Amino acid sequence: MTDNASHLGATLQDLLDERLDAARQTEVLTHLAGCPQCRSELEALRWVRDVALKQLPVEDVPPALAARVVAALDVTDKQTVRRGWRRRTMAAAVLAAAAVVLLLLVSPSSNGDTLPNAVARDFVAYRDGTLPLTLHTSDVAAVERFFVAGGAPFAMRVFDLGMMQYQLVGGRLHRLRGRPSALFVYSGPGDRNLVCQMYEGQLADLPRSDDVREHNGITFRVYRAGTVTLVFWQEGPVVCVLASDADAEAVIQLAYAKAVKV
Amino acid sequence: MSDPDERRRQFESIALPLMQGLYNTSLRLTADGDEAADIVQETFLRAYRTFDNFRPGTNARAWLFTILYSVFANRYHEAKRRPRMEAVEELEAPAGPESDIALVAAWGSRWNPEVERALRRLPEDFRTPLLLIDVEGLSYEEAAAVLGCAVGTVGSRLFRGRKLLYAMLQEYAHQAGYGKHSAPDP
Ligand SMILES: [Zn+2]
Repeated sequence: MTDNASHLGATLQDLLDERLDAARQTEVLTHLAGCPQCRSELEALRWVRDVALKQLPVEDVPPALAARVVAALDVTDKQTVRRGWRRRTMAAAVLAAAAVVLLLLVSPSSNGDTLPNAVARDFVAYRDGTLPLTLHTSDVAAVERFFVAGGAPFAMRVFDLGMMQYQLVGGRLHRLRGRPSALFVYSGPGDRNLVCQMYEGQLADLPRSDDVREHNGITFRVYRAGTVTLVFWQEGPVVCVLASDADAEAVIQLAYAKAVKV
Repeated sequence: MSDPDERRRQFESIALPLMQGLYNTSLRLTADGDEAADIVQETFLRAYRTFDNFRPGTNARAWLFTILYSVFANRYHEAKRRPRMEAVEELEAPAGPESDIALVAAWGSRWNPEVERALRRLPEDFRTPLLLIDVEGLSYEEAAAVLGCAVGTVGSRLFRGRKLLYAMLQEYAHQAGYGKHSAPDP
């Protein structure tokens, strides 16, 4: 307890992490100015914090884990709903008419809302940061594995749009007005977003569109919602839709490039 | 009556962006991909079930990391699968003059397998504050909340952890012969 006691020791870390008040900091800096040993110790701590530990690779979340988390949340949702329904059934026994009213109020009503509206809303929500992706990766195969592991009830594929300068950002198992949808997102030139969704359904069920195009024997229904362009087309039992705030013709060209006649 | 879809959406907005940090931390706590994934899944499930207790605007990161650490501690500490505590003296830094920051720093950006290996050797008490504060960017106060200990304790464990890690990396550098002959090839 002679020399060492007068050195700074753990106080060096307080300096490094900016946890000293001004007076103490002045004392510490004064000591440092005259003490190579403490200076070297401070540099070592700084190196560990700012260099060594910053080199640790960031591991991607495995697609199967992301899918399992979503599935676990879904199961919890179902249990909650069932419990809710049981409570309501008991209420029905007590006061049938009131319970019916309650059920009507509770059941999700989507009157007046259309699929294109819902897709456009999802696009805006994603762009505004309120629709989170479950899996973040630019790896097309990883997002496909994520959808499969998540039990997507239909065959779907994730587009590789690298040639068109659109980089995959990630995906989420989503619901589009109550039906399961595989949602995946790209970032394009000029920071434009492209949100793609696939769901089981029929193009014919969509409301009247602003435009209808034909290309390679495939029908494309085009909608505009503000600055957002939506392009729908059918692939077997699945409807695909691209939503983007990029130039409308560019969005349509992307759809042309990726649509496959089934 | 709160809309369950809205609740789910809110939860996802708050929690999903943190999944990667939680997974990486879990991975480095357990050194086992499957275990790490199980812990993350359970963390999300617990968080979702207790989401009503979470007040929006409060610290979601501290909240989720607290759950993660608690899930981890329950599994590892009770099952006595806690990674063996190495005798700390064994790892203690050789004091002062041998510290050679120039040697260590000059090895540049090729440290990461060694950093990972050294982290794994660190006793959990020292490793966890490093992971939370230096890797995930939590504050001392947040880390103290996660670990359920005093802020001062977090600080002293972090200090020990950083020093031990430095000592181990310096040892690797010596073992690799770096500094004795010439610089490693670029
Ligand atoms: Zn000194």
